[in-house]
Amino acid sequence: MSKSTNQESISNHKIEKYRHLYVIIEHFEGQVIPVSLEMLGEARRLMDEFNSKYNSTEKVVAVVLGNNVRKLCDDLVTYGADSVIYADHEELKYPRNDIDTKVIVQIANDAKIMKIISPEYENTFVKPRYMFFAADNIGRHLSSTVLAELDSGLASDINKLVISDLDIRHEHKTKGQSIRYEKILEMYRPDFSGFLWTTILCLDNKNPEILREYHPQGCSIIPGAFRPIEKDNLRKGTIVEYSPNIDQELKIKILNRKVIKRTIDYETCKIVVSFGRGIKDNPEQNIKLIEEFAHLLGAEIGITLPLSKKPYQVSQNLDSKYMIADRVIGTSGSKITPTLYVAVGLSGAVQHVAGMKESEMVISINTDENSPIIDESDIFIKGRMEEVVPILIEQIKKQMSSISVRSS
Amino acid sequence: MLNVGVIIKLEPDFSEGNVSYNSDGTLNRAETKNILGPHSAIACNAAFYCKVKYEARISIGTMGPPIAESALKQAQVLTDAEELNLYSDRLFAGADTLATAEVLKNGIGKMFGENKIDIVFSGHRASDGETGQTGPQTAWKLGYTFLGNVIGFDIDLGRNVVIAKRLISLQGMDIIIEEIESSLPVFITIDPSYRSIFNTVSQRLAANKFRKEGTKRSEEYRQFLRVFDSKKLDLDPKRVGLPGSPTIVYRVEKIPRAKTNRKTEVIDPSNPNTLSPLIAKIIQIVRGE
Ligand SMILES: Cc1cc2nc3c(=O)[nH]c(=O)nc-3n(C[C@H](O)[C@H](O)[C@H](O)COP(=O)(O)OP(=O)(O)OC[C@H]3O[C@@H](n4cnc5c(N)ncnc54)[C@H](O)[C@@H]3O)c2cc1C
Ligand SMILES: Nc1ncnc2c1ncn2[C@@H]1O[C@H](COP(=O)(O)O)[C@@H](O)[C@H]1O
Repeated sequence: MSKSTNQESISNHKIEKYRHLYVIIEHFEGQVIPVSLEMLGEARRLMDEFNSKYNSTEKVVAVVLGNNVRKLCDDLVTYGADSVIYADHEELKYPRNDIDTKVIVQIANDAKIMKIISPEYENTFVKPRYMFFAADNIGRHLSSTVLAELDSGLASDINKLVISDLDIRHEHKTKGQSIRYEKILEMYRPDFSGFLWTTILCLDNKNPEILREYHPQGCSIIPGAFRPIEKDNLRKGTIVEYSPNIDQELKIKILNRKVIKRTIDYETCKIVVSFGRGIKDNPEQNIKLIEEFAHLLGAEIGITLPLSKKPYQVSQNLDSKYMIADRVIGTSGSKITPTLYVAVGLSGAVQHVAGMKESEMVISINTDENSPIIDESDIFIKGRMEEVVPILIEQIKKQMSSISVRSS
Repeated sequence: MLNVGVIIKLEPDFSEGNVSYNSDGTLNRAETKNILGPHSAIACNAAFYCKVKYEARISIGTMGPPIAESALKQAQVLTDAEELNLYSDRLFAGADTLATAEVLKNGIGKMFGENKIDIVFSGHRASDGETGQTGPQTAWKLGYTFLGNVIGFDIDLGRNVVIAKRLISLQGMDIIIEEIESSLPVFITIDPSYRSIFNTVSQRLAANKFRKEGTKRSEEYRQFLRVFDSKKLDLDPKRVGLPGSPTIVYRVEKIPRAKTNRKTEVIDPSNPNTLSPLIAKIIQIVRGE
C-alpha cells in the first residue's frame, strides 16, 4: 500500500471502498460531443482540489463505449482524464440503453481494473465514488438505469458542483444526530424558473435502523454549464481496453438510423434575434414585428424554451415556423456564438444564458431592469418591445438608406 | 389481449396564465393549481392509441397523496381506462426517483390482477423542472426493456414485438431518427412530439366511441379506482419514501447573478442621442464590417 493510503486510513479509522470520479463519455460520428469534454474539465478541477485537500491520488476516469473508439481515447487524456476505460464491440456501435447500462455497471463494479489505473486502491476498491453523465437524450436515461442497478442516488440537470465535508442532521439518514459526512458532492440544480438553486446530496444512511451505503454519488450535467480545460497534448494517462461480457440476448434491434440536418443553421449565422414570453400582450403582432426586424438584419430567429410548448394562440404559419423545439436557445436547444445577439422580451434564465453567453455583442430589449438578462447585455434598451422594435426598424432603414445614398 | 399500463403524475399547472409567482420571482406552489401533467397526458394518448388500434386494456397508476385521484380521473377521460390505481401512503412522502420507482414497480406488478403488462408508458419528464429519471428507473427495476424518446410506434401482435421510432437530439449535433424493434414487454418514455394518428375510418369511429365512453366512465371514476398502501403493495418501508431515498434536498437558494465581463449600458429608446450610435453599430455588424 502506498504511503498516502496509509495516512488516510489511519486518520479516518476506516478503509475507503469508493474511489475515483467516473465520467461517461458520449460520442457521435467519431467525435466526442462537447458536453463530455466539459464534464472532463469540471472533473479535473474537482479532483485536483480533492487530491490536494485529502492528500490522495484519486483519478478522473473516462468511460467510453462504442465500436472503433480507441482513437478517441488519447484526446480524452489531453482534455483531463487520468485514465480511459474503453469497451469496443460491434454491439456497442450505437447507444442502446439496456446493453450500455450493463456494460457500464460491469466496469463500475470491476476492481481488477484498479491494478492498472491505481494499484494503491486495488484491494479496497468496491465502486466509483462519483459518476457524471450528460443531461441529454442519451445520458439522462443511461444515468437513471445505471444508478438504479447500482442502487444509488442521482441528481439531474446540474450546473455547479462542490466537494466538501458537511455536518448533517437528518431524521432518517442520521436518526436526528449530527454526523459528519466527508467528501460529499454538493450537486446544484437550477429549477424551472432558472432563479432557484436546489442543492442535492447523495448520502449513506447512517441511521442504525436503515443502514445503507449509496455510492457512486451520481449526477447528470447540463450541456454548456462547464468549460473544458485547455487541451494539453503533453498530459499522460492510462488507457485500458475492457472486454465486456455481452452474452445476453439483445432485446433491441436497430432497424434503421437516419441523421437529419438541423433545419435551422445557427452556426453560420452572424446575427440571432430571440424572443421570449415578453411577446404575451399581442403574440401574433409581436412575432410579426420581430420577424420584420430579423429580416432587416438578415438574422435567424431563436426562442426561449417555454415558447416551444406553444403557450399562445398564434396563426398556424407563425406557430409551425417559430414555436418549435429546433429554435430553442439554451441547454435544451442550441448553443450559439453569433456576432450579435438581440434578446427581445426574455428574462435570461441560466438555462437560456448558457446557450448565448459567448455571443460577441448582446443587445436586450426589456421592460424590467431587474431581469437577469441585463447582466449579459452590452446594451440594455429599457422599454416595451411593441414600441422599441418599430423605432429600431425605422432608424435602421433610415440610416441604411442615407449611407447608401451617400456612398453611391 | 394487450395489457397497457401508464404511470402519470399530478403536477402544478405551468401553462401560461396559470402559474402564480411570488414577488421575488419564485413559483408560488400554494397558489398554482394542480392538473394531470402535460407529459403524462401525452403518455395517455399513446396508451389510447393502443386501445383504438389493438384493443388494448388500459390501467393507470400514480403515486401521490389522495388528491392525485384527480389526475387519474383526467387520465381516464383521455384513455377510457378500465382500471385506475392510486399508490398512496404517508410512508411514500419525500421519495426521490429511486424510491418512487420502487413503489411504481410493485404498483405496475398489481395491475389487472397481476396479469403481465405488455407495455408501460411514462411521460418524458414531469413539468419542466423535473428529472425524467422516474420512467427509466421504474423500467429497470421491473426488468423491462427501456425505450426512451419514442415519437411513434406500432405493435406486431403476431410476433409480440414493438417497432418504434426514437428521436435523439444531442447538443450541437444533427438529429438522429432511429427505428428499432424490441420484443415485449417494453417500457416506453414518450417524447413530447408524439402525436397519435388514426388513419382509417374505422379507427376514427372507434376513437370517438372510446372517447365518449372514457368521459362517461370518468364521471364515476371511483368505481374503477383501487387504492394501495405500502402493505398492499408488499413494500419494505425501508426502501420507500425518505428512508429509501439515497438523495436529499440539502438547501434551496436564489441563484446569485453571474458576474460577467460585459459593461452594460442602459439606453432610453426615446433619446435619439443614445440611439443613433447603436444603430450605426448594428448596421456595421449587418454589413460584416
Ligand atoms: C431542465 C431545464 C432546462 C431548460 N432549458 C432551457 C433552454 O434551453 N432555453 C430556455 O430559454 N429556457 C430553458 N429553461 C426554462 C428557463 O428556466 C426559463 O423558464 C425560461 O428561459 C424563461 O423564458 P422567458 O425568458 O421567455 O420568460 P420569462 O422568464 O417569463 O421572461 C419574460 C421577460 O419578458 C419581459 N417582458 C414582458 N413584457 C415585455 C414587453 N412588452 N416588452 C419587452 N419585454 C417584456 C419581462 O420583463 C421578462 O424579463 C429550462 C428549464 C429547465 C428546468
Ligand atoms: N409519483 C409518480 N407516480 C406515477 N408516475 C410518475 C410519478 N413521478 C413521475 N412519474 C412518471 O415519470 C415521468 C417523469 O417524471 P420525472 O422523473 O419526475 O421527471 C412522469 O411524466 C410520469 O409519467
